[in-house]
Amino acid sequence: MKEGFRQAMAWLHTWAGLIFGWLLFAIFLTGTLAYFKDEISHWMQPEIPARSVSSEASLTLAQNYLQQHAAGASRWLIDLPDAREPGLSVRWQQSPAKRGERGQFTEKLLDPQTGAEVQGRETTGGEFFYRFHFQLQMPYPWGRWLSTIAAMVMFVALISGIITHKKIFKDFFTFRPRKGQRSWLDGHNAVGVLVLPFHLMITYSSLVIFMSMVMPASILASYNCDVRAFFDEVFPASSTPELAGKPAQLAPLAPLLERAREQWSGGRVGRLTVNHPGDAHASVVLVRDGADRVVHDFGSAVTFNGVTGHLLATTPEQSLPRAIAGSFYGLHMGHFAGPVLRWLYFICGLAGTAMIGTGLVVWLGKRQLKHAKSGVMPFELRLVEVLNIAGMSGLMVAVAAFFWANRLLPVDVAGRADWEVNSFFIVWGLSVLHAMARRGRAAWVEQLALAALLFGAVPVLNALTTPYHLGITLVQGDWAMAGFDLTCLGSGLFFAWAAWKMQRSGTAEAVIRQRAQPITPEREVN
Amino acid sequence: MLLALLLCYGGFTALCLSMDRHHAELLGCKPSARRRRGMKLGGWGLLALSLWAAVSSTGWGLGLVEWFAVLMLSALLLVLLMPYRPRLALSLAGVSLLISPVAAFAQY
Amino acid sequence: MKVLPVSYRLAVTSRVLAAVLGGYIVAALASVSLSLWASMPRADAVVTGMMTSFLAYLCAVIWCFACRSAWRAWLGLILTSLVLAVVSGLAYWMGHS
Repeated sequence: MKEGFRQAMAWLHTWAGLIFGWLLFAIFLTGTLAYFKDEISHWMQPEIPARSVSSEASLTLAQNYLQQHAAGASRWLIDLPDAREPGLSVRWQQSPAKRGERGQFTEKLLDPQTGAEVQGRETTGGEFFYRFHFQLQMPYPWGRWLSTIAAMVMFVALISGIITHKKIFKDFFTFRPRKGQRSWLDGHNAVGVLVLPFHLMITYSSLVIFMSMVMPASILASYNCDVRAFFDEVFPASSTPELAGKPAQLAPLAPLLERAREQWSGGRVGRLTVNHPGDAHASVVLVRDGADRVVHDFGSAVTFNGVTGHLLATTPEQSLPRAIAGSFYGLHMGHFAGPVLRWLYFICGLAGTAMIGTGLVVWLGKRQLKHAKSGVMPFELRLVEVLNIAGMSGLMVAVAAFFWANRLLPVDVAGRADWEVNSFFIVWGLSVLHAMARRGRAAWVEQLALAALLFGAVPVLNALTTPYHLGITLVQGDWAMAGFDLTCLGSGLFFAWAAWKMQRSGTAEAVIRQRAQPITPEREVN
Repeated sequence: MLLALLLCYGGFTALCLSMDRHHAELLGCKPSARRRRGMKLGGWGLLALSLWAAVSSTGWGLGLVEWFAVLMLSALLLVLLMPYRPRLALSLAGVSLLISPVAAFAQY
Repeated sequence: MKVLPVSYRLAVTSRVLAAVLGGYIVAALASVSLSLWASMPRADAVVTGMMTSFLAYLCAVIWCFACRSAWRAWLGLILTSLVLAVVSGLAYWMGHS
């Protein structure tokens, strides 16, 4: 550590960024992919057709289905289809065997036009990236804790980075390519500063999303250690009525949608919960879809009596602090974003990923220069190099492998969804071994080239294994499917360019070193 | 959103040209003091105008989000374009300012 | 790479511990005292307290690495958390009597 405030902050930025850099890179990349999670799922389950249907019609189908198959359940959950997620999903929960336990859930996907069960290939789809983004494939609380800790480190790294960056306004428009280490630093600063509003929003909001998990002290103090009471106050619609024990016919659900729309001046219903269907005390909770506004309201719901159809309760207007928390949640998730804004979110996410990646490269590059002449790297630098290669290019290869596994694994193999996820991690692990076995630059070039090959060939693979190739999807206007193929092709081209660049700068550097050495052996670089 | 994007890009280019180094890079000479001041004022004015364009079309909530998105994207585009295709970066700014009245007309 | 003295390593470890643990305690106490003192409905005050606590955490971390020695870092955090504990204890006691 050095003297001076700015130097101290630079030290903090460097080390906090390094230690959590690889984890944050993976979190940012998968989170960026998760902005297109429904589109990715659609590509990974091409059997499920994309159709537009009215909410009313699909709700009636769902009610009929549930009445036939889940009449005795304690709770039904119906997720209505929308433009991005065309599936109609129904879930039901059996009455728990003992009080206080969670009853078992069953989930089925229905065709929103016919009401028949849809059997897509077994896959986690885009949900995998979304879940990995904050659970890191770890058991329940640990992954969430680790990702929230990483978010806090990111927050510290961002603020200390701003303090460290002396010439924020003077260098605002500065990017000098083809200057080696200088260009990496310029690039790091440029994507950091220019997309700073996004970085700050995404980091702080991720803390806000999990605040009641990581910072529960004020709940405990204000509610006398009764966390349940706090959640009941914040989400009033989540409390369920007592069972009456008398059977009664459930009213048709579809007309309730229109009445909810009146309550919310046009806001859509996203999910319905039916508590105790078939009982005299049945209640129907209609939860508002977050897609029509920026400020997300968690509890925004109307409750109807399930038998008579009377309005039982509405949630009150959101107070200011909760609206602020809700808008952070809404901004992070971006449910409201239309196609254009969603792409901008995606680009911003990529910029965040690039900022972390360039930061890691700068850290290593700066220290490698000292050992460039001897050609022998100390262990810690070699470790960082291996982690850089596997953590960045290896992760890209693993993402591509995940998509390939979706198309190549036989449809009826047992535990198919798990094997897709396994192939992601197996390939990621192999990339670590490869990075250890090969010299730094060769490993970069080979892994980037492999990523280029895998991504670039995704449209071909899709055409060979399914009937939904680009020639058809583009003509039919299935933009989710076609967009996925085209984006993969684009990423393949990008990785090919990156591999070529890496290869070329490697040979150029070797030539320079050979030429420069006899003349100026003590040449100082930068 | 298109109008806001065009105005933002124009505004950032003006702000960029108000700095000596970038003016010299792009146009080959240092700007006069008056020109520098004009560019600075014009740049900030265009950014403010783009905020108004975004908010007036979709309201404060979504408008602010769209404005920030467009702001970040246009700055990123300009900075990445400048070193590789400086003439294209400049002419894009000119074109975007020229067609922004058309976009404004389409928006209202 | 030059070898760093043990005292330097210990000082850095101490600062990291202060930032992570001490910072968390300061943030938690700040959120408690804010939620108990804010004149808002209970749930809103709690949400406000939780949201601001991360800013307190950030400031605590920056303090730990910016000040001159590890001892001062600890001292600052302990004093802050003592004050916050007294403040929130007072509010808790007033709310319950």
